[in-house]
Amino acid sequence: MNAPEIFFVGDDALAVKVAARAARHALAAALRASGQWVDVVPGKGEVTVQFDPLAIPPSQAEALLRQQAEDIPETEDIPAQTITLHMQADDAAAPDLARIAAENGLTPEAFLARIAASPLIVDMMGFTAGFAYVAGVDPALVAPRLDTPRQRVPAGSVGMISGQLGLYALAGPAGWPVIGRIAEPLFDARRETPFTLDAGVRIRLLIER
Amino acid sequence: MALTVLKPGPLATLQGSARQGLRYQGIPASGPADPLSMALANRLCGNASEATAIEITFGGAAFEFHQDTAFSFAGAALSAALSGMSVPAHEALEARRGDVLTFDHPPSGVRTYLAIPGGFRAETMFGSASTFLPAGFGGFSGRALRAGDQIERAGAANKPPPLATPAPLRPHMARAHSLRAVPGPDFAALTPAVWRETFQTTHRMDRTGLELAGNWPRPEGGGHRPSAALFTGAVQLTPSGNAFVLLPDAQTTGGYLHVLQVIRADRHLLGQIAPGDRISFLSRSTEDAYQDLRAKAGYIAEWLPDFRF
Repeated sequence: MNAPEIFFVGDDALAVKVAARAARHALAAALRASGQWVDVVPGKGEVTVQFDPLAIPPSQAEALLRQQAEDIPETEDIPAQTITLHMQADDAAAPDLARIAAENGLTPEAFLARIAASPLIVDMMGFTAGFAYVAGVDPALVAPRLDTPRQRVPAGSVGMISGQLGLYALAGPAGWPVIGRIAEPLFDARRETPFTLDAGVRIRLLIER
Repeated sequence: MALTVLKPGPLATLQGSARQGLRYQGIPASGPADPLSMALANRLCGNASEATAIEITFGGAAFEFHQDTAFSFAGAALSAALSGMSVPAHEALEARRGDVLTFDHPPSGVRTYLAIPGGFRAETMFGSASTFLPAGFGGFSGRALRAGDQIERAGAANKPPPLATPAPLRPHMARAHSLRAVPGPDFAALTPAVWRETFQTTHRMDRTGLELAGNWPRPEGGGHRPSAALFTGAVQLTPSGNAFVLLPDAQTTGGYLHVLQVIRADRHLLGQIAPGDRISFLSRSTEDAYQDLRAKAGYIAEWLPDFRF
């Protein structure tokens, strides 16, 4: 393969570009398993590793990552697990639904039907505890970010921007327009498995309006 | 029981170590916003740097001791009142059962760390006792301290020797801050003028971040990029025309432009920046930042051999 593109993200982190989702997560898992990095965080187009420069000087860290990234593991096609989630989409749970649907020239019902019919898959976790970036949304549906983020949306809120959903596991600030609310808890620190979702999981949405 | 919270002030939480290895699950470092000041308070109690302490925000807090105990505090507060008597920061102090310790609003800085020998008892989650408020775990039932909360001592109540923080190691609290920074991955959205500007913090600040107002360029094309990893000290340019500096409870990924990164050696300073303070950035290369970190770590290691940046 070609030499991986590697760049610094600040003075104690490095990123390696990997376009394909499965390869990105396979590399992230391999980097995490190597035990060499403080944190390994997949993004939308790269994997970022954080290191302690007092343990690995920056130039050595860059060389190490380059070597590890050249040995990207073979990506296995693991059959994706599918999780069914219930989404409320009444006016209280979906404050931006009517506007976003209208901007797409659709009724709320038709808009939601196209969301539910999309091949939804958790692209990555991140942002804050339990938040899921969900890819696969019907590419014809368009939604820009809010100009001013909301200070607080309820736990389970479903944000949408073009091409993706964001599942807000926790109550908190949200910059994406909200088109529904998931009924199932997405994060619970008191459960043995606190996280409901994981990268690569497919989602079937049952929408109630 | 070691003490009761009489008044928490605007925000008081239990904080211990930073969390590691879970940013990909959205779990950030959390932990003290100014880990150096917390370590200095712990040192005077004979504790490890990351022993659980109370992080007090802006003073206005009061605690009643229920045991005779040594204690110490460091950070924004230069002094506190122990049953009416002024007691100084950065010294090993003694309280009697029934004594009340009160903190006023500090003249500069934000956070003060109160430590006792053995540390405070806290709930451990994801490998740390630190309170992470956005998800409600760690610390004291995953929440901010309230009046009436009774906090236990975690370890042994050893009596530390009567030490004081050496004067050169006491962090200087000010209303103007020079932060060393390296270009972030989206630095191209800025111009070199950023190194000459002075920015001012707004009233939007908490443990997730600080808003910086000033002469930021308007990001072209809406100022979004595909979400990528972010760390404490990231400076993000937002479509509002202001920037945010991320603190330990911040989001672990995001899609605003990541224009600067405060260097690892200086991130402890972020916890003492108050609304209205003036901020300037000093340009560093990755290699400069590495040498800065080595120099600061070497300097601090004599007094805090276990402190980790």
